[in-house]
Amino acid sequence: MIRLKLRKLNIVEGKMQYLFDENGRRYLDAFAGIVTVSCGHCHPDILRAIEEQNKLLQHATTIYLHHAIGDFAEGLAAKMPGNLKVVYFVNSGTEANELAMLMARLYSGNLGMIALRNAYHGGSAATIGLTALNTWKYPIPQGEIHHVVNPNPYRGVFGADANLYAQDVQDHIDHGTSGRVAGYISETIQGVGGAVELAPGYLKLVYDMVRKAGGVCIADEVQTGFGRTGSHYWGFQTQDVVPDIVTMAKGIGNGLPLGAVVTTPEIAQVMAQKIQFNTFGGNPVCSAGGLAVLKVLDKENRQKHCADVGSHLIGRLKDLQQKHDIIGDVRGRGLMVGIELVTDRKEKTPAKAETAVLFEKLRELGILVGKGGLHGNVFRIKPPMCFNKDDADFLVDALDYSITKL
Amino acid sequence: MLRKIFESRGSALLRLRLNQSRRCLTKLAYETAENDHQHFVPKMPAFDYKPPPYDGPSAAEILAKRQRHLNPCMTYLYTNPLYLVDGKMQYLFDESGRRYLDAFGCIATVSCGHCHPQVLEAILNQTKKLQHTTALYLNRPIVDFAEALASKTPGDLNVVFFTNSGTEANELALLIARLYTGSHDIISLRNGYHGNASATMAATAQRNHKYNVLQTGIHHALNPDPYRGIHGSDGPKYAKDVDEIIMYGTSGRIAGFISEAIQGVGGVYELAPGYLPEVYNSVRKAGGLCIADEVQTGFARTGSHFWGFEAQGVVPDIITLAKGIGNGVPLGAVVTTPEIAKVMTSHGYLNTFGGNPVSTTAGLAVLKVIENEKLQQNASTVGTYLKNQLLDLKEKHEIIGDVRGRGFLLGIELVTDRELKTPAPLETLHVMEQMRDMGVLIGKGGVHGNIFRITPALCFTKEDADFLVATMDYVMSKM
Repeated sequence: MIRLKLRKLNIVEGKMQYLFDENGRRYLDAFAGIVTVSCGHCHPDILRAIEEQNKLLQHATTIYLHHAIGDFAEGLAAKMPGNLKVVYFVNSGTEANELAMLMARLYSGNLGMIALRNAYHGGSAATIGLTALNTWKYPIPQGEIHHVVNPNPYRGVFGADANLYAQDVQDHIDHGTSGRVAGYISETIQGVGGAVELAPGYLKLVYDMVRKAGGVCIADEVQTGFGRTGSHYWGFQTQDVVPDIVTMAKGIGNGLPLGAVVTTPEIAQVMAQKIQFNTFGGNPVCSAGGLAVLKVLDKENRQKHCADVGSHLIGRLKDLQQKHDIIGDVRGRGLMVGIELVTDRKEKTPAKAETAVLFEKLRELGILVGKGGLHGNVFRIKPPMCFNKDDADFLVDALDYSITKL
Repeated sequence: MLRKIFESRGSALLRLRLNQSRRCLTKLAYETAENDHQHFVPKMPAFDYKPPPYDGPSAAEILAKRQRHLNPCMTYLYTNPLYLVDGKMQYLFDESGRRYLDAFGCIATVSCGHCHPQVLEAILNQTKKLQHTTALYLNRPIVDFAEALASKTPGDLNVVFFTNSGTEANELALLIARLYTGSHDIISLRNGYHGNASATMAATAQRNHKYNVLQTGIHHALNPDPYRGIHGSDGPKYAKDVDEIIMYGTSGRIAGFISEAIQGVGGVYELAPGYLPEVYNSVRKAGGLCIADEVQTGFARTGSHFWGFEAQGVVPDIITLAKGIGNGVPLGAVVTTPEIAKVMTSHGYLNTFGGNPVSTTAGLAVLKVIENEKLQQNASTVGTYLKNQLLDLKEKHEIIGDVRGRGFLLGIELVTDRELKTPAPLETLHVMEQMRDMGVLIGKGGVHGNIFRITPALCFTKEDADFLVATMDYVMSKM
């Protein structure tokens, strides 16, 4: 079974960027429960908001009015460019992407969806269709999905040439569909796929093609959203585009089961033909928590912090790359970083076994990182956004030490 | 002067009416009327909590924000939407501090009671320690809760997958059934509701919840509905429809069958007796798995049993849970056998939020509360009491076509003609609104919107039941 196995690590407590096991030993959490703990474990402001709301009213549903959901929706919409201001609340990234796909198909009247190879968009039957990593795809029917060549600057056949990659999208539209599609979805920096950042300029070209074919453009911001990339609040902004639909989850609630789909009033209107109802979605506690997250990120200037610490971290990792041959690539931005390990820099042969060994070694030294990529040879460094320069230095030193001892 | 005459005549008329309808009135309401002959109005049971004053935005401001920023298919239960601020046990409070009896349980979800102290304490304690890590690491609450859940389910049903909603749970159940059997066809019931994502929208069989998108591999069987169904209460006769679907609509082998034991959104239709054993038999002969959607009927709500399917004397292969499982926390679960669960090990499946420490701690607290406070027994006793009162009410008001359900999952169907069973959606809306004005919140369901759904928190009392019935009686009498 393909699984990230952390042998018997029993986590009992968490505070900001640290976790504690049952012996009270402290670990640096450089993976944030899979890019989910955005502000920090048990962040006091978030905790306070959750506690206060829990004591008043925890669940109501949208058949009644409650102030928290509107406040949070307004807060989210204020962070969005263009006319992206209608919010649907759901409980996970999978639910958000399911809904986005439904909207795309209803709005366009077309069926075909385009997604990138190496993408991850969810674990339900339909989102498994969008996901393009065989380890996560069960053998079930997944209709009308086209997976295009991944604009992966490190491994991709066209290097960082966005134009050539984009042509594959047009190719699929021209030959694999009626010429009209429902939509396109991608992460800006692939998460599960191993922190792969799309070749620069790619999305602008693709969005244009998709829209000409009647489709909508969906940005999966489940991992890249909320300032994590440092340079921008949303990942798609790094590619200078404005999507039609944005999906988010993970960091949105610092760990609360919460997801959201943001779109334009025009596209949202298409849902009004029938009833789309989510019992838990937008409940008072999650809405209060989500709003607290937005406030904390602004108050503590987390986006800038991600840019500063991120560039420091990436800088040090790139130095490390000079020293150790096994580091094939260091990529990403802000606190969304990937380190790809290879046994041969030219062939780029995945160093799967070595990655697994280093993964455990880092844990022994007190650092929890993530692992990704189809071959499990990419370290994913995506800590809570309060991770600081000292933490970064510790991580790099530990990695240096561990690789040296391999 | 004139007023005094009018009032005394009024009270005489009231007494006359009281005598006529005395059988349907509870002692409490009657006493109220006796003592307060100016205003005969049912009185809510006492409750020792006063909400703090509320200084938040006005209802108008909230509505405006919603219209700007929330999904346009959002509907509100009342023409003048109810603005909720506080909740304690079976009561809710609006922005003016007014108390309401929550007989809908915010859609059968608040099982122990709003802000139940034990559940709250468990949630807050865990939130302060560790709120999220994912199942990549070990932590205690998830296994404690899984173990406790497994102890409540029959047979070999002891492997749990945690999700964040009923939709996610049903999506996973359908995926598992299809993988396990290698077949694609699923049979579900007309009027059933299972969720709003791709496979679950297909399994759902009510047009208002189905969008015009591709939905494959689903067959909707005749609903074994004792009230409106063509075969009355003859479960086995309805079951033949499933045989026919398998025989004519599929290759003869199917992935499975999914149903609620008592339809929730559909309007509290309890499956005709003897239905599930026949169907489960047919489905298994065709290689399929039997999925019991316990999102509304689970966790002692039906009173007679912990799980709804138990009332039909069957043991499913997969059970799906949500709503009441966490008293409102976004949590869902799929429980199945180790053999069936194994099918998921061929590839990776990880639900990021599923099984997080806080949600599972809440779930475990809910199970303990249900046991310690004997909520199943309460659902049975008070639920039966309430149902009997409602049946009495049916004798009195022609508009009540049917009273059904069990425990705290009750339905009242309103019709303009008892023989033709013509749905009375306008009257339903009217009664619901009037009852809200008098302080009682109930729900609505059914494709025609003419069925009241009564699904309160399981701590609902006899006095609450009396108040509900008296209010309904009062409103219907004035129609």
